Amino acid sequence: MLKADNIVSFHQYLVAIGITWLLIIVLLARFFQIQILGHDRYQKKANTNRIRKVTTTAPRGLILDRNGQILVDNLPTYVLTAIPGELSEKGEKFGIISNIIGLDSITVSKNYKKYYRGRFIPTRLAKDLTFHQISKLEENRLNLEGVYYQQFPERYFPSKVRASHILGYVKEVDKPIRNSLDDKNEYELGDMIGWNGLEKKYESYLKGKRGVYFYEVDAFGREVGYVTDLPPQNPEPGQNIITTLDINVQETLEKLMEGRRGVILVGIPETGEILGAVSAPDYKPDLFTGLMLEQEWKNVLNYPEKPLINRFNQGLYPPGSIVKMVTAATLLNNPEFDPYGERKCEGSYQIGDRLFRCWWIQGHGKMNLTSAMLNSCDIYFYKSIHYFDLDKLSNSFRAFGFGQPTQIDISGESSGLVPSISYMNKRYGRYGWSKGALLNISIGQGELLVTPIQVFNYVNLIASKGKAKVPHFVMVDRLPENVQPDFESDLWDRIVLDMRAVIAHKNGTGKSAQPNIPGLKVFGKTGTAENPHGEDHAWFTGWAEYYDQKFSIVVLLENGGSGGTVAAPMAGMVFSQIIHHQEMAAEL
Amino acid sequence: MRSQSFELKELPIKIIWAVVFLTIVGLIVLRSISQHHPGGVLQNPFSKQFLFLIPAIICMIGIIYIPRFTIHKYSYTVYAIGIIFVILPFFGSPHAGTYRWLNMGLPFGIQPSEFAKVFTIIALARYLSDHNLQMKHFTATIIPFLLVLVPTAIVMNQPDLGTAIVIMTPVLPMLYWSGARPFHLFLLLAPLLSMLTAFHNIAFTVWTIVLGMTIIIARPKRLLSLGLFFGNVFLGLFSPFLWNSLTIYQQNRILTFINPEKDPLGAAYQIIQSKTAIGSGGLFGKGWGEGTQTHLKFLPVQESDFILSVMGEELGFVTVSLVLVVFGYLIAQVMKQSYFSKDRFSSLALIGFATIFMAHVFVNTAMTVGLIPVKGLPFPFISAGGSFLITSYMMIGLILKLSVNYTD
Repeated sequence: MLKADNIVSFHQYLVAIGITWLLIIVLLARFFQIQILGHDRYQKKANTNRIRKVTTTAPRGLILDRNGQILVDNLPTYVLTAIPGELSEKGEKFGIISNIIGLDSITVSKNYKKYYRGRFIPTRLAKDLTFHQISKLEENRLNLEGVYYQQFPERYFPSKVRASHILGYVKEVDKPIRNSLDDKNEYELGDMIGWNGLEKKYESYLKGKRGVYFYEVDAFGREVGYVTDLPPQNPEPGQNIITTLDINVQETLEKLMEGRRGVILVGIPETGEILGAVSAPDYKPDLFTGLMLEQEWKNVLNYPEKPLINRFNQGLYPPGSIVKMVTAATLLNNPEFDPYGERKCEGSYQIGDRLFRCWWIQGHGKMNLTSAMLNSCDIYFYKSIHYFDLDKLSNSFRAFGFGQPTQIDISGESSGLVPSISYMNKRYGRYGWSKGALLNISIGQGELLVTPIQVFNYVNLIASKGKAKVPHFVMVDRLPENVQPDFESDLWDRIVLDMRAVIAHKNGTGKSAQPNIPGLKVFGKTGTAENPHGEDHAWFTGWAEYYDQKFSIVVLLENGGSGGTVAAPMAGMVFSQIIHHQEMAAEL
Repeated sequence: MRSQSFELKELPIKIIWAVVFLTIVGLIVLRSISQHHPGGVLQNPFSKQFLFLIPAIICMIGIIYIPRFTIHKYSYTVYAIGIIFVILPFFGSPHAGTYRWLNMGLPFGIQPSEFAKVFTIIALARYLSDHNLQMKHFTATIIPFLLVLVPTAIVMNQPDLGTAIVIMTPVLPMLYWSGARPFHLFLLLAPLLSMLTAFHNIAFTVWTIVLGMTIIIARPKRLLSLGLFFGNVFLGLFSPFLWNSLTIYQQNRILTFINPEKDPLGAAYQIIQSKTAIGSGGLFGKGWGEGTQTHLKFLPVQESDFILSVMGEELGFVTVSLVLVVFGYLIAQVMKQSYFSKDRFSSLALIGFATIFMAHVFVNTAMTVGLIPVKGLPFPFISAGGSFLITSYMMIGLILKLSVNYTD
């Protein structure tokens, strides 16, 4: 009945009002705690919540030859991406894409899975698309909703030379690579990092600095605009590097080495600058750029002639007779040694129960230092070095830079091997080796192993009488200290004269290295190195003097045969082509 | 006897001003959210809310003209029809896994559970005022409780935990209002507390001590007191089994409240984003339409459940406090009307409505600031939502009607 009276007491009313305001106060207190006391903390949180840092790739620096010609450039290619949140009917769209770009749709969807990072983050589908492919995709725009493309600078090799072992290549930074880097914060996934050759060595110059800009994003990660109070920083392109290479020299060397296996190095003795360098066989410099099929990669890896190995600083070879100048210097440095004193070569020389042979089985007859050099007589050197200490010889080898890295500006360099007494003791036991080792090493055989770049440095040192700079590929202000063999001027003159005799004498083993160019004088030494892999390695090392210019050279043909008949003529061809190019350039 | 008509000036004008203020603040906030809303002009929350104000105000005014005795007379009938209405969605197709919405061919759905709040209170008020109950006896609380439990159980099965709690809350103050002993109300709450504390050893121990002491102080019959004590303890011990009978969705909501870090992208994500929005607003807020958390869509369900977070971010502590204080004032005014009301039915209905509003405000606000688990409950007059806006205005209509002190 509505007649029932209200029986609520004032006490009950007060309790109800009290509870109401108590609850309101609890809520107000909580708001005070969050909004006033926690303001700074939440303010910071709100800012990081919405501002996303996005960085843009900086173009890598170019690699130029000594005359400014471009060896490595950047080519804009296109990367195809999809925004997963905007992509429906994936299968159908991947089908259209694969038809246009000629990549099978399984690869496209594999990429999609591999690069997927979020619903509104562009996910890579394919890379290295040409402008032509992009325009074809653009025609299908309406069927490809959610598919986008971005420009991406890729390494490109516009010159006529390959120089692949020198230039090296870049690699895409993936998670394992990134984790292995010391400066991992400077790289993002998908960036390019120099992975070999000059690209690796000069990475810090070439890579440039990423641009940064700040986006405001919503909770789904969608970009909704720039942040006005955080101005964007444009990317800084990497610095160009100027190499010591001469495109023409490099081209000459590459043509000469086509179909051969070995190394050829040409440079300027005093400065250590390398004008051209080939490790044959090589590979196309863009092998690592763009799409590479797994099969293609396996072919390269399993190719028996190992094109990926950089022979000029990684290959270890017995040098053979080309190191006889070291032995000669060791002998000449001993005041009791008489270079004019004659020793008879009868084709063989017996020590204990071992018989050492000269390469010229019939024997050279009576030899002095000069004739032994030009004939490359082994017996003369055996007999001369016989009473020397092994360490004396090995110290000379070290003085010429053998047995240690030359510090050339391409990484992965081998040290080679110069056996000392302690090394021999360690390896064969104190009584496990004999004088024979010393004799073998004196003619560049035995345990001795060198890299072609060490030989290059060695010949530079002789040509410059000990003043050559470290061999290098890039023009830099400061070079590492080179070894400085300290010999009397007479001694240098003597060796240089003997090396001239190797070329100029009618019996000289290296005479075919002399091209018929007036004013051009070649100095050198041939080598025919026995090795366990079959036919002898053919060596030639030396330099040419042409008016005030000097060009040093190292030729190595793996299992090429006799240095005098195979390697020396190649050196001659190189010299004549260099001069030929110079004359042509001068006429222009 | 005076006629049905009444003087409009007799209406408690303070309540009307409070409602107008809250509605306008709500529209201001909704307008901000609607700025970048996709879809047509009439699709954004602001326009929708504005349009729903028309039927809401019509309902409110209509109710004012219904004679008080009619309300009283048909309260049980309305209750019965209402219960059927609440069951109806179960015969339709589920909407996002729930049976909350009734589709009647209108361009918008209707949530019958919203109206359950109104008819339950009216029926309860009638029952408690009609029977000169011996409220000093515990048994007298059983039938009012059943009246509330029927709609509560249905709504809980929709499932809509938040609304179910809101429907249940008024029973306590209404029983208190009609003279029930606080000890009996305590006994009504006891099973709930026994269940909640059962998941925490120390809490359960403390609770059993409090329970025992209360029973000793109140001194009921010995057998009853033993029954009460052990009944509660056993209920507590059984509640882990009851817990397992809850749906995963209900369990998750409770769990993420206990440990929000556990699910940073689910319900806890909402709390974290809400607190970030509110906290970054500071004293005066970032300015209308300048809320980054809001406009960058970090804040979830911002137009309804988390509208207070938008307000906190854009308009600051100052506005939020003002809104809460105005709401406290509104509820206090309703309670005052209830206290001064001449008849028991009106008094009970008024305290019931006051409690409904209070429950909404407290649950919604406490949720946005992370004091209680996430419950899908809107903030009265401010959150977008047609059915609830109409219900709120209907309740205001009833409050205004029942406040007017005249005799039929």
